[in-house]
Amino acid sequence: MGVDSVDPDDTMRRLTAALVIAGLSAAPLLTLSFGVNRLGGGQAAATQQVTSQGAARFLTQATFGPTDSSISNVQSAGYAAWIDQQESMPVSDTHLAFMQRRLAALQAINPSALNTSADFYDSFWLQAATAPDQLRQRVKLALSEIFVISFSGQILDPKGVASYYDMLGANAFGNYRTLLEQVTLHPMMGSYLTYISSTKENPTTGQNPDENFAREIQQLMSIGLYRLNQDGSNEIDSSGGSIPTYSDADIKGLSKVFTGFGWFSSHTTGYGSPLYFYGIHKDPNAYVTPMSTYPAMHSTSEKSFLGTTISASTTPDPIGDLKIALDTIFNQRNVGPFIGKQLIQKLVTSNPSPAYIARVAGVFNNDGTGVRGNLGAVVRAILMDPEARDDTAVSNPTFGKLREPVVRLGNWMRAFNATSDSGWWLVGSTSALVSFDQSPLTAPSVFNFWRPGYSPPNTTMGRLNLVAPEFQTVNVISVASYLNAIRLAVNGGAGAKSTTSGAPDVHSVYVNEMAIASDAGALADRINRLALYGQMSASLRTRIITAVNQIKVPGPPATTALVDKALRSRVVTAVYLAFGSPEYMAQR
Amino acid sequence: MTLSNLDRRHFLRLGGALSLLGGAAPFALQLAASGAASAAGASDYKAIVCIFLVGGNDGSNTVLATDDDSWGRYFAARNTGVDPIALMPVGTAPTPAGQVSPITNSLVLANTPPTWGGVLPIVPNVAQPIPLGTNASVRTFALHPFMGPVQSLFNRQRLAIVANVGPLTQPITKSQFLAGGVPVPRNLFSHNDQQSTWQSGAIEGARVGWGGAMADKVIGANGVNTEFTTIAPYNSSLFLTGLSVDPYVVNVGVLPAIVTSPNYDYDVVRDTTSTSDLANDYGAVVSQSINSAGKLNNAVSQGAAATIPAPPKYVSPGGAVSQVNALAVQLQTVARIIAAAPQLGIGRQVFFVTLERFDTHAGQNATQPDLLGQLAQALDYFDATLTNIGGADLSALVTTFTASEFGRTFTSNGSGTDHAWGSHHFVMGGAVKGGNIYGQYPTLGVDQLGFDNPDMAGNVLIPTTALDQYGATLGAWFGVGSSDLATIFPNLANFDSDNLGFV
Repeated sequence: MGVDSVDPDDTMRRLTAALVIAGLSAAPLLTLSFGVNRLGGGQAAATQQVTSQGAARFLTQATFGPTDSSISNVQSAGYAAWIDQQESMPVSDTHLAFMQRRLAALQAINPSALNTSADFYDSFWLQAATAPDQLRQRVKLALSEIFVISFSGQILDPKGVASYYDMLGANAFGNYRTLLEQVTLHPMMGSYLTYISSTKENPTTGQNPDENFAREIQQLMSIGLYRLNQDGSNEIDSSGGSIPTYSDADIKGLSKVFTGFGWFSSHTTGYGSPLYFYGIHKDPNAYVTPMSTYPAMHSTSEKSFLGTTISASTTPDPIGDLKIALDTIFNQRNVGPFIGKQLIQKLVTSNPSPAYIARVAGVFNNDGTGVRGNLGAVVRAILMDPEARDDTAVSNPTFGKLREPVVRLGNWMRAFNATSDSGWWLVGSTSALVSFDQSPLTAPSVFNFWRPGYSPPNTTMGRLNLVAPEFQTVNVISVASYLNAIRLAVNGGAGAKSTTSGAPDVHSVYVNEMAIASDAGALADRINRLALYGQMSASLRTRIITAVNQIKVPGPPATTALVDKALRSRVVTAVYLAFGSPEYMAQR
Repeated sequence: MTLSNLDRRHFLRLGGALSLLGGAAPFALQLAASGAASAAGASDYKAIVCIFLVGGNDGSNTVLATDDDSWGRYFAARNTGVDPIALMPVGTAPTPAGQVSPITNSLVLANTPPTWGGVLPIVPNVAQPIPLGTNASVRTFALHPFMGPVQSLFNRQRLAIVANVGPLTQPITKSQFLAGGVPVPRNLFSHNDQQSTWQSGAIEGARVGWGGAMADKVIGANGVNTEFTTIAPYNSSLFLTGLSVDPYVVNVGVLPAIVTSPNYDYDVVRDTTSTSDLANDYGAVVSQSINSAGKLNNAVSQGAAATIPAPPKYVSPGGAVSQVNALAVQLQTVARIIAAAPQLGIGRQVFFVTLERFDTHAGQNATQPDLLGQLAQALDYFDATLTNIGGADLSALVTTFTASEFGRTFTSNGSGTDHAWGSHHFVMGGAVKGGNIYGQYPTLGVDQLGFDNPDMAGNVLIPTTALDQYGATLGAWFGVGSSDLATIFPNLANFDSDNLGFV
């Protein structure tokens, strides 16, 4: 507790925490009078006084989940200042550094040990659960589901993936143009979308440059398939059809730009350079260093794409061509609504109104100081938007989004102060269908775990023509698996201490919950505050209380151990039921 | 929405009510019900199994034309780049790594075509016509060297090939395609849109797949257990989604359904009374999971379904690689459910299984061969398994076919291939008229030096057989009427034949 950020008023924070533990969190308006009202970017006025429910709901959108301390931090700072604090907070730690520390520890036992994907997952959980820069953590995850690389289906170096995720985090509040370039030059994206070591065309055999990245950078990472209005709707041509943003010819033109980028090396020209270009010889830092350009491999013929033409040249200029290409993509009108809408979907709601999208796209286009692509301003606009901050949305049948599985697990870790016995957060993979069916950076393909336009068939949302992206992995198996997996985590913990010991490494001792567990109502209210931002339905609350009250707390002369066992049983029952309830799945 | 959908919801409510009777009661009721239904179901059963090759299989290295004219242009286009993907001619002995290939006259590296030996010849029962642009008196064909089991299935008439099939709105020539104006399916070459198009006829956002649409028409054969009409391992699929039919997702390698702990209050986890539509949609899935899991697990745990042999490990023809065959283990689960169909009183089923990683932009030599090898061994395993389900040969009741979002470019990008259009596919089963190639195998080669290939635009094969024809042929066998097929495959009327005759 208390690691989230510097609190301006420690006394008030402790007072708030005390009130909460006393079971008063369900009080309708626990307001603080000194909430800072600092709204940027010409936003309409938002709530001046932040309720604990409002703060918890905000943190549900902006972090891996509310905690006692983060709720009081938001209440005392106000939404806008909290975002300011978060966006100016330095990167807490790098995943790459974790990987190196972990490798050293592993090699102390087994000198030939190597980093694995599990080490990256562990680093992910350490930061998701405990890092103070929570807004960055959550946006980083969102970006990783747009700029997708994956351990699945490809052999990617775990340190390289850690460095890629660090790069996404470092750019989370920076400029989209910089992010796009660092994504493009990262060897893990180069490997995942196979343009690393792509060579210029060969007219004699018909050999063409690799077209993989040229297609997906447009379809998935910048502009999408159809020309968009700023409110996210498709532009319509005279016959009522949507208008493609690019053609196959644009892909072929752009694919020539992404030639001549090879593994990082100082040997980029002359005899022997192909060995480094193709990675047959590798610099030790090649996995974590931007790709190098190998001029002899780069196409010099004319390159036309998206209305821009780079003339044929006798001198290869991979960096110059790349700048033109990325500038061209960056300046397409589609980028604001295309990227803005997806970030809204990943943080706040699957079906934002056109006006909400347009407001966010407007901030992407111009942050108020004439800068295009300011992601920090975009994130702020998303979270401060009246549509996001309207707390009456909690009773809107179609507002919100399905919480993704790794966020649910993160919610549990944070809400109940989970700790790692080993200190390494040995959660490992949660990818299995019989686990959480999701691990970070492990989507089935570059199309992510789910598509932003997915509308589940034969459901109410589908009949209303609404999308529910995360529903794409909801099925009779995954829902049962989730219930089993979260029950295990809630009861005993997550992960395993080692490959030989199945004992969980990450668990909660539920100190604050045990303290009130003799009062089923107080227990339900506390879980309501942390998991359901104070909006638990009356029927769920009743069911939890009923279930908890079936577990009797023995009176004297029972030993403390027996009493604690009963109290703990009450807590895990209540927590499991809350985290297993459909109303928890739908974040509103 | 539709009446059928209301029926489904009514059914779900009924299922919920039954389970309220307590743990033992539904079990007894279910046994009685399925026993009554099985008499009707057992006498009449048919299943379609779609094997989706995710990522876009390179058909040009899967089914090859080996007459001199075709082979010469194939080899020239693919024997290029840092890691050439041109396969070796029929009859070529494997050249070990480190030696010089007599075909390429180059030093052979590991995991490259010379180490695998030549492509495997096949001779169709009916000679393929010679297309414009191909100079040959007889067209000859072969399979990838890792597909020995498929060569055998073809030779034993268990398997047919459908050449150059792909989504088409209407027949289209090269000049029409290049000029534009004649309608073609939207967003060709895009993974997600063409996965959707292959499964439903429309780009991403489509809600009804043709497997599900066909299932809608035959669901009356499935008694009370209609939730098991369309089934997929691992994840739901558009292909299996109908207007009233929803895919039932199963697990692989163990009991197909997962049961949640019975120690907690089911009424919480399956609640559908929230003010959130999304929550209620989620709760409905939990409810179905709870209602159906025991039923399915029970059915596959007895009789022939419990004795379906596990597939052998996949052993690579290219080396010592031995691994779980990711496709075959899914087909084992499919076979178990087929074997349990009488127990469940089910008469018609559609399955959807997948094999991934076919998006071979780079390093194709390291990836595609073992995928094709797994496909071949899985097909062989599945065919053999179906011929002995508890002593009965059910193979004529099950037709298996391959699909993939697109073929790949005929040219190489140096070590792989990019997104394209038409490709070649396999159909297998006891009812299949095997040993033949259906549809026109195209002329091969890119335009250069005065050669103008009528079947390719740039490096892309233009399909000459429509997906609608492919699907409708399967649908007719499955028992879907011609007017329903015309609705499910709206482009069918634009083609001269609505049945390709392979089954």
